[in-house]
Amino acid sequence: MNREYEKRTITEDGQLMLKKAEQDQIVTVWDRYQEQQPQCGYCEMGLSCRICNMGPCRIDPFGEGPQQGVCGADADIIVARNLGRMIASGAASHSDHGRDLVEVLAKVAEGNAPGYVITDVEKLNRVAAEYGVAVEGKSPTEVAGALADAMFEDFGSRKAALTMTARAPEKRREIWKKLNIMPRGIDRETAEMMHRTHMGVDNGWQSLLLQALRNALSDGWGGSLIATEVSDILFGTPQPRPNTVNVGVIKEDQVNILVHGHNPVVSEMILRACQSPELQRLAEEKGAKGINLAGLCCTGNELLMRHGVPMAGNHLMTELVIATGAVEMILADYQCIMPSLGTVAACYHTKMVSTSDKARFPGMEHREFHPDNAEILAKDLVREAVENFGKRGRVYIPVESVPAMGGFSVEAILGALGGSVDPLLDAIKAGKIRGAAGIVGCNNPRIKHDYGHVTLTRRLIENDILVVDTGCAAVASAKAGFKVAEAARWAGPGLREVCEALQIPPVLHMGSCVDNVRILVLAGALADALGTDISDLPIAGAAPEWYSEKAVAIGAYFVASGVYTVLGPMPPITGSMNVVNLLTRGLEDVVGATFAVEPDPEKAAILMRNHIEQKREALGLSAAKPLRGPSAG
Amino acid sequence: MKQVIVHPERCVGCMQCMAACATAHSRSGKLFTATLEKPVPRPRIHVGAGRYGEGFPNRCRHCDPAPCMLACLPGAISRLPETSTVHIDPDLCINCASCAMTCPFGVIRYHEDADAPPDKVVAVKCDNCHDRQLEGKLPACVEVCKSGALTFEEPDAAMKRKTDAVACSMSQETAVTVLSPGFTLLNTIKQAQTAMAARK
Repeated sequence: MNREYEKRTITEDGQLMLKKAEQDQIVTVWDRYQEQQPQCGYCEMGLSCRICNMGPCRIDPFGEGPQQGVCGADADIIVARNLGRMIASGAASHSDHGRDLVEVLAKVAEGNAPGYVITDVEKLNRVAAEYGVAVEGKSPTEVAGALADAMFEDFGSRKAALTMTARAPEKRREIWKKLNIMPRGIDRETAEMMHRTHMGVDNGWQSLLLQALRNALSDGWGGSLIATEVSDILFGTPQPRPNTVNVGVIKEDQVNILVHGHNPVVSEMILRACQSPELQRLAEEKGAKGINLAGLCCTGNELLMRHGVPMAGNHLMTELVIATGAVEMILADYQCIMPSLGTVAACYHTKMVSTSDKARFPGMEHREFHPDNAEILAKDLVREAVENFGKRGRVYIPVESVPAMGGFSVEAILGALGGSVDPLLDAIKAGKIRGAAGIVGCNNPRIKHDYGHVTLTRRLIENDILVVDTGCAAVASAKAGFKVAEAARWAGPGLREVCEALQIPPVLHMGSCVDNVRILVLAGALADALGTDISDLPIAGAAPEWYSEKAVAIGAYFVASGVYTVLGPMPPITGSMNVVNLLTRGLEDVVGATFAVEPDPEKAAILMRNHIEQKREALGLSAAKPLRGPSAG
Repeated sequence: MKQVIVHPERCVGCMQCMAACATAHSRSGKLFTATLEKPVPRPRIHVGAGRYGEGFPNRCRHCDPAPCMLACLPGAISRLPETSTVHIDPDLCINCASCAMTCPFGVIRYHEDADAPPDKVVAVKCDNCHDRQLEGKLPACVEVCKSGALTFEEPDAAMKRKTDAVACSMSQETAVTVLSPGFTLLNTIKQAQTAMAARK
């Protein structure tokens, strides 16, 4: 294989599809990344400010040119403001996604969402109880209506604390109260972040960063958590079930439809339409053996978790899958959908459809989904996809798909453990499992595609660290074969024993990127069971290939919740060593956890292992000596 | 005589020199209107990407003797004595590319230009902002560079500074001077990423 392809991705399907794309003269994300080199150093360091129209301004990192913007903001203020705004955007994205689900829940309660139903009544009642919604003697739709109203309140301004922050350990909530970073309203914290970063408002770089943490917490214990819980209520709480991954899930003899984006509201309806006997008959009439629905990115993860729908690829694969020439239609909702996709699809017969009122793309036909029309529109679109089957040109599907296991919601994990976290804690106490790590986040052409995720995962499980993952990271490790029970053979002896006893893989797929809250909730439950705080647990997080603003919000809510988090790519903060030092060292004394930045996953694994062993020691558990590795930061 | 001096270790790759250069060589001299002109003005300085994506501003060195001047068949290239600029006369240029073939730095481009006869493609390269210099202004690229990667000064003074800096680094008991810890950190990360991409 060409060295250039090997430099870009470790995946076999990725390398083969890159070659195909090049033959077809498709410009990919990697080509555009090269075209952007060198990238602006002011922006990479967070030292450029476009906030007001006295500017734009930039600060000379060498100290001789300008050291303040026109307003007088120095490097610390500018870097902190820029980081705060990244987190605001990330939190807003997840939380707006959450709001869309609450709207569907409300519409179901009103009877204005044909096709949508309440699937998990038990969870509805459980969450309703947390919100103080009376359940006794009420129908599920009545409860759903009242719960939707209560959840809308969480988005507003009238609360002292978001409802589900009650799931965090007592000690953690005390820290947030003491620091005055208890998230009060989901939209409020984002609005306040934007307000504070307006010229002439908050010019304390430390206080800006504290608000950034509060804003991130409003995502993790608010918007994202609502998104996950309401998705479970509407579409079912995931249970372990098999699936398949990589480009090989696209079938030569079937109508292939891919869903791309994040929100399950559209993709669930598409799945139902694909299962309709009428449309399947039509597919057979058109010469296809059936209708094959597969996922891309996180809306794919949502379907994978709940229904075992196959997964075609993660973020950096989204252009390449089109080059198979075998995709009849891609339906996109929002977030992480590259605006280049329409141009790629124009080289093939693939129909591109945008479905959200808030997201449009060049080269896509806009067919807007709303709860009231979703059922009918989904059938219309699947029919159009089936009719597109005959227009295919030559097809190239170079690999066989890989089997995997998904669906590890917190409920499913507890179920597998017999209803409580105690067996897991016992295994940790006994040292069979040293601790747990969450590997999350995106792909980024700065890091060889999937190299960060797969290498880090391999090293951690070798060291008896149980890995849970979500999002693009989860797809990477599934493709690498870590998500089958037999993968336990790659784990260290202790983890292997536990996995073999429970018949689970050493890497548990916990869902989409909003589903990172499942990891938070699990960590909270573990801390409660030990009567301690999340920051005392032998756990760590990592985002080895992150790119998006949402990932910054996720990292920040993990750190603010007490989880040591290692980032692969450097965020745009190096313009202020004060900010770098606060985030990588100073936060330890503030929230009991820090960030680290380490692009090399081999070294990141050492950082995480050492952190986990250190936490074990503090808990009085057996602890290994730290391995020599890079220092944090 | 003052000259434009490049300090590669300070280039942050923002490409503002390129935009300023193109604007300075436009008809209107304003960025916004310059983008609407025909021909669209183009930069004479080009920021390239190094091994790990770091920037480097590549511009004409105004060599003496200049290979391009020696190679120019119609005699379109001459030296402007006031600023020691190697200058291409667009009226005389025959677009033969001999100059580009001899240029060791690859700084000569071929395109239409505001100073050239209409519709004529000519050789274009840095003119040291000769006209601006005569007006007492800094070359446009130097004026916009805020990181100190491009300076306009006497070469002797710049060389003395560099000599002193090297001498200081040789002094006993002197810590290595890091120009910007943050920029060094960023570049360390980029180098690590580049090394990882080369791994099997």
